[in-house]
Amino acid sequence: MSKAKAQQPAVIHKVIMVGSGGVGKSALTLQFMYDEFIEDYEPTKADSYRKKVVLDGEEVQIDILDTAGQEDYAAIRDNYFRSGEGFLCVFSIKEQESFQATQDFREQILRVKNDENIPFLLVGNMADLAEQRQVSEDEALKRAQEWKVNYVETSAKTRANVDKVFYDLMREIRSRKMEASRQSNGKQKKKRDTKKMKCVVL
Amino acid sequence: MSKQHLQQTLFLPNDERLITMIPVSKMPRKTNLKKRSNLLCSVLNTMESPVKVYIYHVKKSDRGDGHKKKMAWLLRDLRTVDGKNAEKPTAEFDLLFERVYKWMASSVEDKETFISSLWRLSHRFLIQKPEFLNIPERLLEDIKDPHMLREKSQSVDDISIEGDDYQALSAKEESDLELLMSECQVAISNAEVFTEQLSKQLSVLDGANIHSIMGSEDQVLNLMRLLDDGIREAEQIESKLDSYDNILASVKEQMEVMRDKDTLLTVRNRNHQRLLEELENLQKKLDLDLKYMQALMDGDLTTSQGIKECTEAAQALYQCMNADIHPSLCKLGAVEEQQKYFKKLLASFSKRLIHHLNNLFIHHGNEMGETLSRYAGDIRMPQHSNIHKDLVIYADLMLWLKKVDESVFHELSSVYMGSIKKLYTREISDFMESAKQKLVTAKDPKGKLGASTLPRLTGSSTSLTKIEARGRSGSSHSVDSTGLKYGSEMDIAMRKLERVCIAEQDFCFKFFHLIDKNQPSEENPHREPGPHGESATEAEQEVWVAKQTYSTADSEYITENLGEGLMQKRATVTNRMRQINNQVREMMAKLFPQLEDDLDTFLTHADRQDGMYSMYMLVRMSQHVINNQDMGSYLGKTFGNCLIKVKRNFDKYIDTMMQAVRETKVSKKTRCGIISFVHNFEDFTNLAEAIFRGSDRHADLDKAYTKLVGVVFEQIVRVANEHQKTPKEVVLMATLSHLKNTCLENDRKEARQRYTENLKAYTVNLLGRPLEKLHIFFEGVEARISAGVKPEEVGYQLAFSKQELRKVIKEYPGKEVKKNLEHLNKKVEKQLCEEENLIQVVWHEMQDLFINQYKYYDDLMCRCYPDSNITLDFTIDDVLQYFSDIAQAH
Repeated sequence: MSKAKAQQPAVIHKVIMVGSGGVGKSALTLQFMYDEFIEDYEPTKADSYRKKVVLDGEEVQIDILDTAGQEDYAAIRDNYFRSGEGFLCVFSIKEQESFQATQDFREQILRVKNDENIPFLLVGNMADLAEQRQVSEDEALKRAQEWKVNYVETSAKTRANVDKVFYDLMREIRSRKMEASRQSNGKQKKKRDTKKMKCVVL
Repeated sequence: MSKQHLQQTLFLPNDERLITMIPVSKMPRKTNLKKRSNLLCSVLNTMESPVKVYIYHVKKSDRGDGHKKKMAWLLRDLRTVDGKNAEKPTAEFDLLFERVYKWMASSVEDKETFISSLWRLSHRFLIQKPEFLNIPERLLEDIKDPHMLREKSQSVDDISIEGDDYQALSAKEESDLELLMSECQVAISNAEVFTEQLSKQLSVLDGANIHSIMGSEDQVLNLMRLLDDGIREAEQIESKLDSYDNILASVKEQMEVMRDKDTLLTVRNRNHQRLLEELENLQKKLDLDLKYMQALMDGDLTTSQGIKECTEAAQALYQCMNADIHPSLCKLGAVEEQQKYFKKLLASFSKRLIHHLNNLFIHHGNEMGETLSRYAGDIRMPQHSNIHKDLVIYADLMLWLKKVDESVFHELSSVYMGSIKKLYTREISDFMESAKQKLVTAKDPKGKLGASTLPRLTGSSTSLTKIEARGRSGSSHSVDSTGLKYGSEMDIAMRKLERVCIAEQDFCFKFFHLIDKNQPSEENPHREPGPHGESATEAEQEVWVAKQTYSTADSEYITENLGEGLMQKRATVTNRMRQINNQVREMMAKLFPQLEDDLDTFLTHADRQDGMYSMYMLVRMSQHVINNQDMGSYLGKTFGNCLIKVKRNFDKYIDTMMQAVRETKVSKKTRCGIISFVHNFEDFTNLAEAIFRGSDRHADLDKAYTKLVGVVFEQIVRVANEHQKTPKEVVLMATLSHLKNTCLENDRKEARQRYTENLKAYTVNLLGRPLEKLHIFFEGVEARISAGVKPEEVGYQLAFSKQELRKVIKEYPGKEVKKNLEHLNKKVEKQLCEEENLIQVVWHEMQDLFINQYKYYDDLMCRCYPDSNITLDFTIDDVLQYFSDIAQAH
């Protein structure tokens, strides 16, 4: 498999899409991946996507795990939250409930990752449907400030800010990794991260 | 309304006298009408010579007291007077004129008065009297006696109807009379004195009258005399006029003569002028400047100045010779002589010119000036701009020659072709050789690089392994870059070749005037920048400038001939160009006899080097063909042929690739990740997309894709089946998932669908039955239910009693289940390769499936064993906890 590994760009950033059902996680993902907008709604179970991108001149690979919004048991998410390096927490600006749900997602992620500063972006999708807006920008910004994260409004339909959210998140992930590697270079304590750190060094 | 008043206002002005007047009303109409407003009057008109009697219908005018005549009839026209009833007195009566008018008099007396007056009047003035009907006898009879009439009239009416000579006194007469009477107050008392006085006065008046008559005679005589004088004068004037007339008649004749003379004079003048003009024209046409003659005789054909002079001279000569002269004029001795002289001049000059050009061509052909030095990194195709520049100045002379002597012209052109052909053949083969070498050197450095990393690259036979090797050794960039570099190299080579060909072709157009002289040959320079774009080199610019100057020198002549042809659009030009294609193509084929073969060998060579190059070739070549096709040039045709070959090579390359996919073997020992040819395919698509981007040959690529994708899908299944160590589904899933990400838009859906199917199959298969016995037990339960057993009664069957259930459940305590799940998780991790990060997805699917299973069992237990209080050893929360724990364990 060494051959196969060599072919991949050294760095993989694992991004996880979270949020209630029907807020447009898959739409954002597909728009980012293939530049297409899918009108029909079909609930996702779980899908992983991979794409080579150039992030600030460096070729990296982004791995997007598009998750199910409708999940009967939150615990099922634990496993893949575990594997994520950064999260796009998506809600729909025309649905107050989905905004409220972000609180739960945030809590679960923090619990699973046990890390307050995990790369995280609050994303208000469906910005093109401003006339149906239920969640005000101030409200969302306030929550984002509380969490010390950034808030971005996107539209999967018009592709507004779609690239921005993914790239912003990747940058956050990258700087986190660099920080971590600097720390671990000093004292290699955390066994879990060593494998990934090698990649970064490479 | 008194009678006098009416007489005064209405009738007197017309010298009419009112006889009778009765108020009436019209009969058939409203009888209640104001009776007084309508009057019927009989009136005597004394003015007209036979006295006429009118009957007027007078009506009171609407305004004021006045009356107006509404209708008038002549009594003569009255045919019948109908009194209605002779016995019984009645006020009605009818008057029949042109039609019947019915009247109602205000009283019987009035009517009778009126009728009797009519009777009297008609008797008196009419020959044919109207008929009187139903009138009492007494009315008519008592007036029948004319003597009675007078009495009656004097007594009853106060109108006295006198004899014919009676004239009523006018007011003036009356006053005169009164004055007269008043003067002679004696008159009444003494009639005799009065008569005397009157007769005295009469005689006085008579005398005065005669006197005045005598007086007027003189005046009449005077008048007569005056008239006679007038007549005499008139006669005099007439005779004078006659004499004038006579004079004028002679003048007119003279004038006519003069006019005739004048016209004759102008005609003669005009004819003179025409003759002069014609002669001048002829002279101008046939006059050849001495300067020109000198140039033709011994002009210098080696310097541009001399050539220019010669060109002008030759054109002048040509014009002189082909001047538009009336045939009859040609018979003039001087003209004949001049023409003979011209012919001689022409012959000598053309001979000189041909000789010179012939030498020049051969010289250029042999010159081969530049020794073709080959630089390793530079493909060169010598430009012949200097030859063209040297020759292009003769272009006009060539045109002239073509017009003058076609056969010599053809001879010359074949000499040119023969000598230049040699040059081009050698150059092109050298060029191709160096291009080939370039190709090798372009490959070399990379080859070394590859060799150092992976030893098995060198001498690779199939293109596929080459791509693979290259792809793996460096990044996929190197493939792109070398490939693209090669592509651009080839592009440059092609462009150079093209430029030379086009330059030559344009030159031929110009020089040999393959364009009909009616066509805008000036269009050539305009088109030129098109195919070359910005890449025009300096050398070309020189040719360009040379042409420009030449064409401007020439422009006068051209515009003269072309007229609006210059304004025509490009499309029409290209159409026209096509018409003369054959000539050009022939010439070009003769000039570049080896080009096609050389290109062919070059292509074959390149293909042998690496099939991948055929992709570049395809794109570039098709571009060149498109650039050239509207030129309709030889080059376009040649490139077209090459394109067909390239397409064949491309197809072959795709076939090889498909074959390689078919033959792929996977190593059996290692865990199978994504099959190698899928990566290869991905690389290929990336590369191909880069190459074909924006090209209109993309359709070809799409076709190739379809074929390739078909084979790839087919082969994935084959490889997955062959692979022993990894489950088939995993291989399929991983590979397809990869394809899903990288594959082309059209096939993505299919890949995705297949991926989903395989994902499901794999999870179901792998999950198997962690609670196998439970599963069997419940399957049985389900079977019973579907066989018709009521859910509540299932528990009473021996095989599915509560005891049995408890036994089965006991076998799966929570701990055991957790252990099973952990084991499963590890297995999944082991089997899946990391390349696609599918673990999360698969595990998610597993979790889902497991929970669904759990729920299903739970549901069945609720239904079949409602009150037994039997539950599984672990709750759903436990299951979720297990999952969380497994997640945390990582």
